Amino acid sequence: MGRYVGQRVKRTEDPRLIRGLAHYVDDIKLPDMLHAVFLRSVHAHARIRRIGIASATASPGVVAVYTGRDVSHKIGPVPCAAALPDLKVPDHRVLATDRVYYVGHPVAVVVATDRYAAQDALEKIAVEYEELPPVVDPEQALKGKPLVHEQFGSNVAYRLTSGEGDIESALASADKIVRQRMINQRLAPVAMEPRGVLARYFPGEQELTLWSSTQIPHLMRTQVALMLGIAENKLRVITPEVGGGFGSKLNVYAEEALLGWISIQLSRPVKWIETRRENMQATIHGRAQVGEIEIGCKKDGTVTGLRYNVVADLGAYHQLLTPAIPTLTGLMLSGAYRIPAIQMNVTGMFTNKMATDAYRGAGRPEATYVIERAMDLVAAELGMDPVEVRRKNFPAPSEFPFKTATGLTYDSGNYEAALSKALKISGYRELREQQKKARAEGRLVGIGVSSYVEICALGPSAAMPAGGWESATVRIEPTGKVTVLTGASPHGQGQETSFAQIVAEELGIDLNDITVIHGDTAIVQYGIGTFGSRATAVGGTAVLVALQRVREKATRIAAHLLQVEASRMTFANARFSALAAQAAATVGALATVPAPAADGDRSITLQEVALAAHLAKNLPPDTEPGLSATYFFEPKNFTFPFGTHIVAVEIDRETGEVQFQRYVAVDDCGKVINPMLVDGQIQGGIVQAIGQALYEEVVYDDQGQLITGTLMDYAVPKAAMIPTLELDRTETPTPENPLGVKGVGEAGTIGATPAIVGAVVDALAPFGVRHLDMPLKPETIFRAMQRTSAK
Amino acid sequence: MRFEGRHELRAPRESVYRALTDPATLQACIPGCESLEKTGENTYAARLSANVGPVSGNFSSNIRLEETQPPARYRIVFDGVGQSGFMRGTSDFQLEEQPGLTVLQYTADFHVGGVLAAVGQRMLQGAARMMASKFFTAIEAAAQAAKPASSPP
Repeated sequence: MGRYVGQRVKRTEDPRLIRGLAHYVDDIKLPDMLHAVFLRSVHAHARIRRIGIASATASPGVVAVYTGRDVSHKIGPVPCAAALPDLKVPDHRVLATDRVYYVGHPVAVVVATDRYAAQDALEKIAVEYEELPPVVDPEQALKGKPLVHEQFGSNVAYRLTSGEGDIESALASADKIVRQRMINQRLAPVAMEPRGVLARYFPGEQELTLWSSTQIPHLMRTQVALMLGIAENKLRVITPEVGGGFGSKLNVYAEEALLGWISIQLSRPVKWIETRRENMQATIHGRAQVGEIEIGCKKDGTVTGLRYNVVADLGAYHQLLTPAIPTLTGLMLSGAYRIPAIQMNVTGMFTNKMATDAYRGAGRPEATYVIERAMDLVAAELGMDPVEVRRKNFPAPSEFPFKTATGLTYDSGNYEAALSKALKISGYRELREQQKKARAEGRLVGIGVSSYVEICALGPSAAMPAGGWESATVRIEPTGKVTVLTGASPHGQGQETSFAQIVAEELGIDLNDITVIHGDTAIVQYGIGTFGSRATAVGGTAVLVALQRVREKATRIAAHLLQVEASRMTFANARFSALAAQAAATVGALATVPAPAADGDRSITLQEVALAAHLAKNLPPDTEPGLSATYFFEPKNFTFPFGTHIVAVEIDRETGEVQFQRYVAVDDCGKVINPMLVDGQIQGGIVQAIGQALYEEVVYDDQGQLITGTLMDYAVPKAAMIPTLELDRTETPTPENPLGVKGVGEAGTIGATPAIVGAVVDALAPFGVRHLDMPLKPETIFRAMQRTSAK
Repeated sequence: MRFEGRHELRAPRESVYRALTDPATLQACIPGCESLEKTGENTYAARLSANVGPVSGNFSSNIRLEETQPPARYRIVFDGVGQSGFMRGTSDFQLEEQPGLTVLQYTADFHVGGVLAAVGQRMLQGAARMMASKFFTAIEAAAQAAKPASSPP
């Protein structure tokens, strides 16, 4: 542990956030600014016969009303970056033209002098629809009729088989095969700050600026420039404070391009802030997989093979990564285990719903859920302890780098260590004893275990749709203050703090002398963004390497100024010193600015070197003035954090409600820069996993109406529903980057869900329950208890 | 969505049936009804304002009476569109004569979309029940007021 790295440094972001001094998109107000609101489809599937906008256009305060006919041929399609063989890609325009495909599909936009005038005018737009039969259930959609997109002749967007090993003989060689249908329900990411865009066009300079609540400012700049047909260097994207993304802002949305276009048309700034209802309807959803698992095992619990046939509900259109998300599930099906043969057959289905895409974990929680539930089923089938089945199949630490039958090479791991630690902290054996006693008393107590592996630090560019590297510039200003420009786009993860810790550690300077700048494409070199638990492992490494380069240059300048050889310099606490022997051998000759320290030591501060580098009066030969370096770090592999979560619950027999008794999580995300940030990420992840396991579900009725359209109906967990989380760690550094960090943003969500479901199912074992589909609402549990009486 | 109900109205069946099919009475009795016009044989056009939980809005509706068997039964087919969504459905009414009162039973099947579905759906049953209760209380009063004209003194 260093002076900064490894310390629980308080987030430097927080004072402005908790004092209300931060600026989100909606806090930015420009002179002459207009406001846009969207008219959205009330039907899941319909033909638009006519849109009457005359009375809306004439409404007080209205500046313009646009429909699909006005803009569709002028703005390019909403992009999908996922490339899969034979993928059907519907033409996705920023506004619906002749058909609407989901409830919430934008049909028209009203621009007015204030939001109220715009909203009033919106109600005057008359749309005549001819309703068409909607496709709601992705499995029903396989039957062929009705069709979401007639031109494809089928609702299948793609089929893909992945995995390695001979699955047929692997299953044939098993003593037992366990099968289970499992649903990973559709979820809404529900970032606290909904989406928002402010667009400002300067006609003189022909420059467009977009302020957007996004996770990917640079990728958005490229994509929106292409959509609008403007030069990328005439478009600036700024992400001010972003109030949560969870993958929902890892996207390029229709509204972002359309607001830019409107601002160009009107030469005035125009703002749109998403309402919560729009957020539920028209911001991407996550998960939505229905699958059947087959897992073969020997009598001793050794897994021989795993097959997962899954239908993925993609929604009506592809957003940026929609079709790619289920492929991540296929990659992670091996979990923490040695499984010789794995096969996933995925069928991506169009439905008349909002697109699914990346939501915290993005395909990996689905995989972890499937493999961890399967391990529990194997344990139940064989009458083994779920812990023992897992142990039986762990690769040993000596087997790393470990190759899986899904085509990955796990970098490093010690799964047993994390499991043992979690068992010890939870007192697993005693928990099982207590469970026996509780059962004898007729109480429903259950224990769930999940040993997960997750894929982070996304990723090598060869495996990514749009570059997997990350960039950083480290600049030491003339006064010695350090500016870091990162291509990552943190939005709550705390990298303004953790990146400053890396710099402070390396240069021995105060944390307050460092500023980390991100999220402005006019200031920061091109970057990829923050998602896939990548910002520290990939972006932090870029900072470290750039920093080392700057230090190396500073060392050369310092050596020159002190007239010693660079190899004879030492650096500590922001001061370069000549090694004693060398210093004694060198005489005088320091009549340069800046002067060495007054005490006569042969040393010079970093601040003095920085000034000298900028004054450039006395630099080593062939040395550029200035003191900055930019580095683009390209990872060679992903990283694979892991851990074990152990959960104890008790179920109320009368109400079916789940009460947490214990929640223990031991996570290993490699080296840790700031344990407090890691705890925060794990904590938030577990909370969202509790949401999926027990409460949350996006529900469309059989007509494709979204009936969980508000936070009254969509149940995100509240603070009172969250147990005390007992968090601990093991630390297995990754060899994939010099920081040794793996990533932690999604681990909680990935590891926790199956542990919670496992605990509830275990509590219901006396009823013969082996599996229940999420969310495990009291109703679901109560019904399960009613189906069979306890043995 | 489906729901059903039963109301006892202290008025003769003929008076109740007449009240239920008379545009002026209906307009007076339907909560939030701003206008109701006969547009043809057994068809009406209505403007309604409705409040369901946090959703409020105006609806233009077309109403059609079908399978009328005065005074025992009839069916309403309705279709309403407003800024806060749409609703449509059918409702079957049965009127049964009992000593001193008319027992009215109805079943309704309807489908909502838009904000009504997203926000109001959960509250729709309760709201519909409350509106039905207000409506039938008003109809009962109207039928009772009409009674002297239809029954011998």
